Amino acid sequence: MAGKPVRPVNAIDQTRRMLSLVTYLKERPGARVEDVARAFGISEDELVSDLDVLPMCGTSFRGGDLLDIDTDGERIWWHNPAALGEETAEPLRLAADEATALLVAARAVSTLPGLRESDRQALLRANAKLEAAAGEAAGASSRLSVTFESEGGVFADVDRAISERRRLWIRYYSPARDELTEREIDPIRLVSVGHTYVEAWCRRSEARRTFRLDRVAEIRILDEPSAPPEIELRDLSEALVQPAAEDPEVVVEVGPGGRWVAEYYPHDSADELVDGGLRITLRTPDPASLRRLALRLGRDGRIVSPPELADSARRAAREALAAYDGVEAQEPHDGHAVLDG
Amino acid sequence: MAIAKAERLMNLALCLLGTRRPLSKRELRESIEAYLEAGSDDSFSRMFERDKDDLRELGLVIETVENLDGEVGYLARRDSNRLPPVTLDAEEAAALGLAAKVWQQARLAGAASGALQKLRAAGLPEDVDPYEAHGALEPRIPVHEVAFEPLMLACRDRRPVVFDYRKATAAHPEPRHVEPWALECWRGHWYLAGWDRDRGAERVFRLSRITGKVRSRSGRFTAEVPDVVTVRETVASWAGETADRSALIRLRSGAGYPLRAKATAVRELGDGWDELEIPYGHGLDAWLVEFGPDVVVLEPAELRADVVDRLRAVAKG
Repeated sequence: MAGKPVRPVNAIDQTRRMLSLVTYLKERPGARVEDVARAFGISEDELVSDLDVLPMCGTSFRGGDLLDIDTDGERIWWHNPAALGEETAEPLRLAADEATALLVAARAVSTLPGLRESDRQALLRANAKLEAAAGEAAGASSRLSVTFESEGGVFADVDRAISERRRLWIRYYSPARDELTEREIDPIRLVSVGHTYVEAWCRRSEARRTFRLDRVAEIRILDEPSAPPEIELRDLSEALVQPAAEDPEVVVEVGPGGRWVAEYYPHDSADELVDGGLRITLRTPDPASLRRLALRLGRDGRIVSPPELADSARRAAREALAAYDGVEAQEPHDGHAVLDG
Repeated sequence: MAIAKAERLMNLALCLLGTRRPLSKRELRESIEAYLEAGSDDSFSRMFERDKDDLRELGLVIETVENLDGEVGYLARRDSNRLPPVTLDAEEAAALGLAAKVWQQARLAGAASGALQKLRAAGLPEDVDPYEAHGALEPRIPVHEVAFEPLMLACRDRRPVVFDYRKATAAHPEPRHVEPWALECWRGHWYLAGWDRDRGAERVFRLSRITGKVRSRSGRFTAEVPDVVTVRETVASWAGETADRSALIRLRSGAGYPLRAKATAVRELGDGWDELEIPYGHGLDAWLVEFGPDVVVLEPAELRADVVDRLRAVAKG
């Protein structure tokens, strides 16, 4: 599947891996390259590069004892497992970062609303055992936490539809158009990146689409089988909606109070302005959908182009104001979020 | 060709783990090819100190022992470096396999894989594909903020820091001296809670608003770290999630589904409009304005005035 974890090649990670490899190989003479690579979550090439380094390592102060480890490309042989002595090459305790990384991730996943109860229980049990094994190293894990947002009921239905390979009917809210549409979708996978999304083949548009679970107003599992075409799954860790190069450009200028736009909208550029604001250039297939943004910004920003978008926001604001006619506006007060309280 | 760092670290680790008596720097230098080739004593010493720190980051407990002659020796005792027995069944192993793939941040992704590899070496079952066990579920923890790693380490090691921070509405960043307590990710954004030394109070910071480098400060924390640090509750209140009042609005029929989903009461007026009661927390005015002419605020007057004020700004623009 896509979404390979980030795995930089660096000396620290490689050393950590080789120390575990030595322990692992000691117990498994003639281990298969393929199996070891899978167990370690690395490619066979990465494993072979580790195997190139190991014969240069050892406790040579005892008199030239280097590890005699080699491979014929299929199996791995260690000819002198006694080189490190009987009691060495034992499993090593977890470092603080290692315990933290696993514990925090497992806790986060276990709080996903809608996760199968058996999975949640397995995560909690594994975490308790891991915490006990990590001992002191687990302490710092309480200083990091992550919450995934999800709609439990919708999540459970999508999860079931995926495992039973069935089509879904949804009523879905599109914020860009402020409308609900009905669609039939063939779900492919659930992705949680802050919010939780279902990636699916949309039968209405005959295209790949990503739906945020908290925007699914209604959901039903259909009897028809799900049959998404074979598509390559993208790495969704960056941005879920990637604008296309041919999409029209929108330029927004915001004051200091509108800088959040750059944090929430994928953009091509964000240039600093002298007043502490930003000039943000972004692309969207449907500039009209940004009318909401223009309205929301109020005095904190304005659409520079396209002019039609700026006009439509102005018109919408005037039309809205008409409903308040004759009302004495009170002293306006500042409604900005001041993040540091 | 220079000897690769991983080879050097591996040799140092094996030497320290394999010995029963402390080894002096001199002995280690003679045992490890990379150290023999290190050049001057100074450059060897610097390299050696860095390598020890790196191995400690990997979880190795390295003891420094002085012998009777006053010579310093090093060793990594087996007792203090052994993983205690841990037995995980196939389901638990699959759960950890899923958890190990969640981090999108290089350091923690490496640490998570490393932890899993240590557990594999200790006999963790490996025949279950986590995707089979968990359906097609891919949780990911995004980390886009450069301030994350230095702050994570500072939280871990309880080190005070200083960084430039731009408040939401400020034109310019200001330096902030902080004792960092905890980091929390909510809706894909990272926040830091800690003690603000200048303000003498607890504060929450959004990492994306930190500009420039996070620098460590010497010394210890001066304020007591609370047992429970609640970042999310604070952020949620800024986001208007903790509403304490109620607002009354008119909403055009068929429009504004998210407002309907939040409403505590909906009355059809029959003239193409509905009347809704919705929780009134921080930020509601900005949200309501997004719906343009499809929303009219009735009560309270304060919210009505805020919305009118925002609409005027756009109408003028």
